[in-house]
Amino acid sequence: MTRRDFSERDIHMALDDELPVDERVAYDVWLEANPEMKARSVRYVADRAALRAAFAGVLDEPVPARLQNIVFGEAPVKTAPSSSRWWRAAAAAAMLAIGGVGGYVAGIDHLGLEDPAEDQLAEQAIAAHVLYAAEQRHAVEVPASDKDHLQTWLSNRVGLKLVAPDLAAQGFQLVGGRLLPAGESKAAMLLYEDAKGERISLFVTAESAEKTKGTYGSEEDGPEAIYWLDKGYGCAVVGSLPRAQLTAVAKSAYSQLVAGLAS
Amino acid sequence: MDEKKAAILGEIPRLRRYARSLLRDRDSADDLVQDCLERALVRLDNWQTGESPRRWLFTIMHHLFIDQMRKVNRRGEAAMLPLEAREAQAAPAEQVESIASREIIDALQAISPDRRAALVMVAIEGFSYAEAANILGVPAGTLMSRIARGRDELRGLLDDAARRRAIRIVEK
Repeated sequence: MTRRDFSERDIHMALDDELPVDERVAYDVWLEANPEMKARSVRYVADRAALRAAFAGVLDEPVPARLQNIVFGEAPVKTAPSSSRWWRAAAAAAMLAIGGVGGYVAGIDHLGLEDPAEDQLAEQAIAAHVLYAAEQRHAVEVPASDKDHLQTWLSNRVGLKLVAPDLAAQGFQLVGGRLLPAGESKAAMLLYEDAKGERISLFVTAESAEKTKGTYGSEEDGPEAIYWLDKGYGCAVVGSLPRAQLTAVAKSAYSQLVAGLAS
Repeated sequence: MDEKKAAILGEIPRLRRYARSLLRDRDSADDLVQDCLERALVRLDNWQTGESPRRWLFTIMHHLFIDQMRKVNRRGEAAMLPLEAREAQAAPAEQVESIASREIIDALQAISPDRRAALVMVAIEGFSYAEAANILGVPAGTLMSRIARGRDELRGLLDDAARRRAIRIVEK
């Protein structure tokens, strides 16, 4: 039996049947002794099964006549590739791949028809909240311990004088913040957390021409956004708190943000 | 009909499956297969006796796919085609997909084309690392890292999708 250290790389090799036969026993022993790696392996096996299942039906579909005809020589064979539509799908795929997960979320907004500005703001804010508030270790780019830098950086990038509101009276402490795309422009996201670990986020962008305010959320029990737009800025407070509590937080955040903008 | 043509015909279902996993949309995928078959028939003489028809055809199709992806990226056409792109993303009506299938197909589309091709070659099409590296024209080490990163990325995207589904944020 071969003695060597195994790594995550071996999980892929074992899964793809590329691990040398004389290493398999040692690999299995290693896997059993490493619950984290074992879980990873189990997960990849499941993902592969789902992947295969998703495309299994294609093999049973009847072959379209236009494809058979090419081989039978019944269709004129062109020397240049057909100016077919498949590259458009490739273009779409490229677009989604460019930004990875962030691009995927941001991309959805560009694919849709133009929504009213406030809905866009609320949707972007909710999407960002859902994505990042669930992160434990990578929720923010700059932590609250570096608050001065956070405020200066985000103010410069978003183009607003941004002061992170103090929400201690409502039971929330600043976790930190990050910079995000928002339509054509940029947005600052500030994340707060209470003693129980419940998180809310503030989403602030400099792009807005109209003055409006309201609440936005699906009727399901997902997070809700309370937003307001004024000339030159838009802000949304997102969280899954009871409406009254979220409103109280939003009011406090609003007054502090506006005071900060004017300072 | 000669043997070569019979062999090509037999590979069409698998070519269609590979194209579908690369492009998602059924018609677009069949267009890619069509381009592949047309090119194959023009180059029938290049096909060495004894060479596996599957490997030969997959190589042709992969080159078509990658060439086009490069052109698209270079010309920046992705950014200029929002409506077509949206259309291409929509699953055809006759295609009945379960939520799980739709999520994994969406996730597969969101990873980079190079990683997607490498992962699909091995995980769905069942090629060995050596065969897949040969078809994709990359060293085995590159293939392995694409597979590993592709799987990891796919896992992250599926987790995000599950989270989004649980919370049901945006109703379209």
